[in-house]
Amino acid sequence: MALPRLFRTAAFRLALAYAGLFVLSTAVLFVLVYVEVTDHAEDQLKELIEDQAGALVAQGKIEGFEALAATLRTWSDTRRPRPASYVLVDPAGQVLAGKLGTARPRAGWFTYVEPDDDDGDDMLGLGTRLENGSLLVVAQETELRELGWALIQAFLLAGGASLALAVLGGMITSAAFLRRLENFNRTAAQIVQGKLGERVPQRGTDDEFDRLAGNLNAMLDRIQALMESMRQVSNDIAHDLRTPLAHLRQRLETARQDARDTSAYEVAVDSAIAETDEILATFSALLRIAQIEAGTRRAGFAPVDLSALFESIAETYTPVAEDRGQSLLTAISAGVTVRGDRELLTQMLANLVENALRHTPPFSVVRLSLDKSATGPVGVIVDNGPGIPEEAHGNVFRRFFRMEASRTTPGNGLGLSLVAAVADLHGIAVELGDSKPGLGVTLRFPL
Amino acid sequence: MKVLLIEDDKDTSDYVARGLKEHGHVVDLAPNGRDGLFLAAEGAHDVMVVDRMLPGLDGLALVKTIRGAGVRTPVLFLTTLGGIDDRVAGLEAGGDDYLVKPFAFAELLARVHALARRPPMAEVETVLKVADLELDRIRRSVTRAGTRIDLKPREFLLLEYLMRHAGQVVTRTMLLEHVWEFNFDPRTNIVETHVSRLRAKVDRDFDVELIHTIRGAGYCLRGPA
Repeated sequence: MALPRLFRTAAFRLALAYAGLFVLSTAVLFVLVYVEVTDHAEDQLKELIEDQAGALVAQGKIEGFEALAATLRTWSDTRRPRPASYVLVDPAGQVLAGKLGTARPRAGWFTYVEPDDDDGDDMLGLGTRLENGSLLVVAQETELRELGWALIQAFLLAGGASLALAVLGGMITSAAFLRRLENFNRTAAQIVQGKLGERVPQRGTDDEFDRLAGNLNAMLDRIQALMESMRQVSNDIAHDLRTPLAHLRQRLETARQDARDTSAYEVAVDSAIAETDEILATFSALLRIAQIEAGTRRAGFAPVDLSALFESIAETYTPVAEDRGQSLLTAISAGVTVRGDRELLTQMLANLVENALRHTPPFSVVRLSLDKSATGPVGVIVDNGPGIPEEAHGNVFRRFFRMEASRTTPGNGLGLSLVAAVADLHGIAVELGDSKPGLGVTLRFPL
Repeated sequence: MKVLLIEDDKDTSDYVARGLKEHGHVVDLAPNGRDGLFLAAEGAHDVMVVDRMLPGLDGLALVKTIRGAGVRTPVLFLTTLGGIDDRVAGLEAGGDDYLVKPFAFAELLARVHALARRPPMAEVETVLKVADLELDRIRRSVTRAGTRIDLKPREFLLLEYLMRHAGQVVTRTMLLEHVWEFNFDPRTNIVETHVSRLRAKVDRDFDVELIHTIRGAGYCLRGPA
């Protein structure tokens, strides 16, 4: 049988478990109290009986046996004081005064039940042997059973009330839990149905639920951003690879129609291969960016000698710059290190330097510098070329973004996207600035 | 030489096997990991070309297994496009080199040659000699016909790599990987630039040219035949 949801919640089960524990401890307490209280009551009763018996024995001694018998007879007739019984039995077993129900009088402590007693309480009797051999019995109603019942009733009432309160409390807590969980469920269900912008509402109380909601929302934001970037990549691939593929096809078709001899075919095939390599390089770059963005490379981070890396890039590109009629000037501080992926940092810096060299005319100067600062290492690549207009600064890191002016130069528009991906992975802030004229790229490495 | 090709994609294996045979090599082909392991365990080949993704037993596990069994045959891994973390995993598993599909056949051939003749590290001589060119790896000095040649650090590394593979074709990508440690394709002609600088120092003032450009493949440093 399916229980209502409320009773199946963890909170309710927890409340129920606590209630059970409470009932158990109440039962233990009850047993202890019961034993203590009844013991004490019995002791007091015995004291009372002993006192009365002592007084009667003393009366017998002073006023004589007959006077004692007469007193007891009177008491017995009026049954006063109730609910006590007094009996005097002679040595032969003959009852001289009073009556003792079903019990056979004897010396010492004994208990019996009076048959005509309506509440059926035990009687506690004490038989005392007198000097003349007769037996004086003083008995009192114990009322222990009554006391026990009163105790049980009190405990049942208290226990029942607190059990009911615990269940009620559990239900209320569970209902509150369920209501908040329902928010999560509703949001999740809506996201499943495609409303990706849905978020779990937060109350601002900063409790566990709020923090969970906050984390879930952050996760959803990240997933949405990743999906957005996936969509962006697929669109970009569809859009930007169609052009070179169409171009390739056109070339091959032209060769098929126009080539007259083997050498013409060779030229066509060579250029087709070159174009295919271009397309593959673009694919490869896209996948590489996607993999860097996935963040798995962070696990392999190790200390990297940034000074050596900058020097190595400078040494590699100085002859390249010279051959292009440009110059590469450096100001690199020694002993600068950072935690990261050496291979990716190398590629990032190479891309930035190549970008500066490729987008500036001959006689331009590219400056590469590295320095320490209070906030961490700072690398700067600055050129005195045409620069990038301020309004395009936000776009240059997008995939396939190319300035109109550079549409005709070779390149796939992915260089700065890769820079952005590597920088993001390493927590490097990339700032673009106008060095009037020219572009300045500042890399602010984390400490 | 004897090449063991472990590759499940028929197009790739046909292309590679045909090319290697045209260049006079003997090719054993295994279309899956289990057959590949069986053949590789013989240790009778000069080079193994192993695809990373294989049915039965994947390439990484295969190479780990034979390395564990003491087979030292050089391994060239083939892998699919874009696996930037694959290279490290491949080398850690005991591979010697790594090539991303699709590749130019000249690239594969150059790498297979380089692997087959690569001497174990202990046997690398401290002084490399090709014709009248000498490179001392300890003193970091270079002389040609007794004349001292001053090289920049990168030029020295470049020449050392070319001399260690003297007589073999060395591709642009191989130079980028080993001389610059660039595991990506730069958008400027850094290899061409540095080779031409090196040439100016090593070849220009001498009658015999040692550094040759192999069209469509790369470079080759060799003495006069």
